[in-house]
Amino acid sequence: MNRSNTYFATKIILLSSLFLTFNNVNAEVDEAKLNIYTVNYPIKYFAESIAGDNAKVTLPMPGDIDPAFWEPKAEDVIGLQQADMILLNGANYAKWLPKVSLPLFKLVNTSAEFRDSYISLSEAVTHNHGSGGKHSHTGTAFTTWLDFSLAEKQAKSVFKALSRKQPKLNASFVENFIPLQKALLELDTELTEIGGALNGEALLGSHPVYQYLRAKYKLNLESVHWEPEEAPTEEQWNVLTKLLEKHPAKWMLWEGVPANETVLKLEALGVKSIVFSPTSNSPETGDFMTIMHENIANLKAILEKK
Amino acid sequence: MIDSFYLAWRYIVFNRIKTITLVLCISLVSFLPFALKILLNESEHQLMSRAITTPLLVGAKGNSLDLVMNSLYFSKEKPDFISMKAIEKVMDSYLAVPIPLYTRFHAREYPIVGTTLDYFEFRKHKVAEGRSFAMLGESLIGADVAARLNLKVGGSILSSPENLFDLAGVYPLKMKVVGILQKTNSVDDKAVFVDLKTTWVIQGLGHGHQDVKKIADESDVLSRSDKLVTTSTKIKQYTEINVDNLGSFHFHGDPSIYPLTAIIAVPNDEKSATILSGRYLSEQKNQQIVRPKKVIEDLLGNIFQIKEFIDAVVLIVAIAMVLAIFLVFSLSFRLRQKEISTILHLGCSRSTVVQLIGAEILIIAVFSGMLCFSSLLVLQYFQGEIVHQLFIS
Amino acid sequence: MININSLELSYGTDEFRLSIPQLKIESTEKVAIIGPSGSGKTTLLKLISGIIQPQRGRVEIGEVAINELSDPQCRDYRISNIGYIFQDFELLDYLNVQDNILHPFRITQSLKIDNQVRDRVKSLAEEMGIADKLKRLTNNLSQGEKQRTAICRAMITAPKLILADEATGNLDPSNKTKILDALFRSTDKNKATLIAVTHDHELLDRFDRVIDFKQFCDGESV
Repeated sequence: MNRSNTYFATKIILLSSLFLTFNNVNAEVDEAKLNIYTVNYPIKYFAESIAGDNAKVTLPMPGDIDPAFWEPKAEDVIGLQQADMILLNGANYAKWLPKVSLPLFKLVNTSAEFRDSYISLSEAVTHNHGSGGKHSHTGTAFTTWLDFSLAEKQAKSVFKALSRKQPKLNASFVENFIPLQKALLELDTELTEIGGALNGEALLGSHPVYQYLRAKYKLNLESVHWEPEEAPTEEQWNVLTKLLEKHPAKWMLWEGVPANETVLKLEALGVKSIVFSPTSNSPETGDFMTIMHENIANLKAILEKK
Repeated sequence: MIDSFYLAWRYIVFNRIKTITLVLCISLVSFLPFALKILLNESEHQLMSRAITTPLLVGAKGNSLDLVMNSLYFSKEKPDFISMKAIEKVMDSYLAVPIPLYTRFHAREYPIVGTTLDYFEFRKHKVAEGRSFAMLGESLIGADVAARLNLKVGGSILSSPENLFDLAGVYPLKMKVVGILQKTNSVDDKAVFVDLKTTWVIQGLGHGHQDVKKIADESDVLSRSDKLVTTSTKIKQYTEINVDNLGSFHFHGDPSIYPLTAIIAVPNDEKSATILSGRYLSEQKNQQIVRPKKVIEDLLGNIFQIKEFIDAVVLIVAIAMVLAIFLVFSLSFRLRQKEISTILHLGCSRSTVVQLIGAEILIIAVFSGMLCFSSLLVLQYFQGEIVHQLFIS
Repeated sequence: MININSLELSYGTDEFRLSIPQLKIESTEKVAIIGPSGSGKTTLLKLISGIIQPQRGRVEIGEVAINELSDPQCRDYRISNIGYIFQDFELLDYLNVQDNILHPFRITQSLKIDNQVRDRVKSLAEEMGIADKLKRLTNNLSQGEKQRTAICRAMITAPKLILADEATGNLDPSNKTKILDALFRSTDKNKATLIAVTHDHELLDRFDRVIDFKQFCDGESV
């Protein structure tokens, strides 16, 4: 979307460790459960895994919408303001962030450590009005956790934030964090291997959410802008056909299970569908790890077919 | 004795213009030194109480007094702006927590203070009615603003243009009042608080407008391609942020250079404060860090020097006034010589004549004292406001 | 009875010299004093009332030798026993008619205002024809009304001796008669002695006795 918004989600929110220092001074929350809010499911999963019973972790948006494009109402924001800690994804993930007021002290940008590695998007709409002259809206790719080495860093950031907030529980947090870290690094290793094995196999993404996955695991992946539950328009099919001419992919990675009709039509073009869900929002079944394992298993299917 | 007062009173009432003039002169001369003392005490109290509770201030290099006065008391003297990068400097130091302030705009005569919610936690302010601001365009107003503008939660307040001929196209922003702060007996009672980003919207750095892809009137579109829509200036810009158009609000340019007037830096401890201050001395060319307490102490030092001078002037004026009053009385008694001799001829004793004159002086003194005292009471009641107007705004 | 003996008074070096070997005025007698300006008529009234003291001689009012009293005693005596009507009324402009009449009561400890005194103010004012003017400031009075007020002030203590200095001097002829009538009525009512300095020769017939002051310049007895 745009650089400016990225700024709010990154630069302003650099404060993470500092807020905690401030909070340590000003808030004695040792007795009660920590009230934590997150902006997407992966961060919620990390926080729940590390904090265990010591925190109540809330993902404030309804389960059926993309958390990145959630538009909170004032009541939602008031809920967020009451939190002890608000864990952000960073990378301009939460588009609503510049439009709401949250206490800086409570914000923790889990991706601050690698903010220089954010992937920029080139898609833009330029318009001209007001006093600002001609300007464009560019953006930042935000599904950072699909690079599991980055996911590990985000989890570590959550761990640090929790430890600073409640130093007495540090041992418990360490105990919980180590297996999570291990699991994430294993996913990273596994995907690195798969990426290597795919060896430049042309792949399609149904939606531009796989930038970090593509970059880290060296996938030869180009994305269209389709929704799993919506039938693509004629124009979208034409774009795909053109894309296939220069990028002869045989597999398309979907965020969710695509409509049968679309799957069949794709197969007619020689493109098979597999699901690789970013799990931005809470899954109906399973959790972050089980879904990521399913995603990897789905990718492995390509290798098997290959 | 009673009759002496009765006669003196009749005389005073008959010569009311002369009496009023005398009473005013005496009251004024007695009032001035006390008033000065009250105002200075109040200014010291107002200035110091806030300065003490604000450990460090970061702002543009230049007049440190302007910086402190603007940041602590929202005075109209604006320091040069610093950019959002300055926040990072403080953050990266890990020595203090920054609270940004942007106090450039006004709503009527009340300053609009762009900050974050942390400000209220830092100042320990509580919301009396409604809630704190949560969304872009919402405002939390001070108790006096609410009282004087008769604003309630759910009302709105309009930002004022910076000047009458503001041709830069910055529209006044209608801000929804979502909360009223408890009375704090500080300048915060006379401020309109909004999220920092809302002040940038007022400035025009962020705005909301019709979706350029969905413009119905094609005459507003100058050119259109897949990636570029160029529109005319007729495109509708929103001057109020509400649920319906909030989605269209966005910011332009590089926010790292977005302006601030100051940052309140809350250091972890005294050592951190010292280290941070040292860094600004050695590293920062365009920014300064000041301890408001020190700046205000210097200011008060100057004010008290001025006070000594004023005291001397008041003393001279008082002496002159006493002489003048003495002259007035003696001239008055000379004019009344015939009357006094009549009284004496009637058989009045000299001591009664003295009593009559004494009663007259006493009545004038009592009236002057009462006027002086009541003026001082009034002054005391309004001292906060007066000091704010005199020394702060 | 007023008895003046061997009274002598002079100002400066022979600029003014008053010498009265003897002067007797009976109780309830109404005496007019005439004489050229500067002959000492007003001075005589002041000597009788104790406002000024003679260099020599004695002034007795009844049993009291007024020039032998101490200053406070003299003032006390004067305010209680002598009604003095000044040449220019000498009313106080900041007091209304009533307060001017009551003025002697307000400037001495020895006289107290009570209901009787207030009633007396009313009856005096009625007698003088200024009952409806009691609340007026004296600035708003005519000359006649001012003089009536001054007479009321002189009479309020019911004095046995009334000294009137040109009481009719500033009045038109019809007012002169009226004021003199009022003054005489009051004097009679109080059984008081009246000594009036006057230039109005046409009024002299009404007095019991007329003393021409010219004689005292030569030191004659009366």
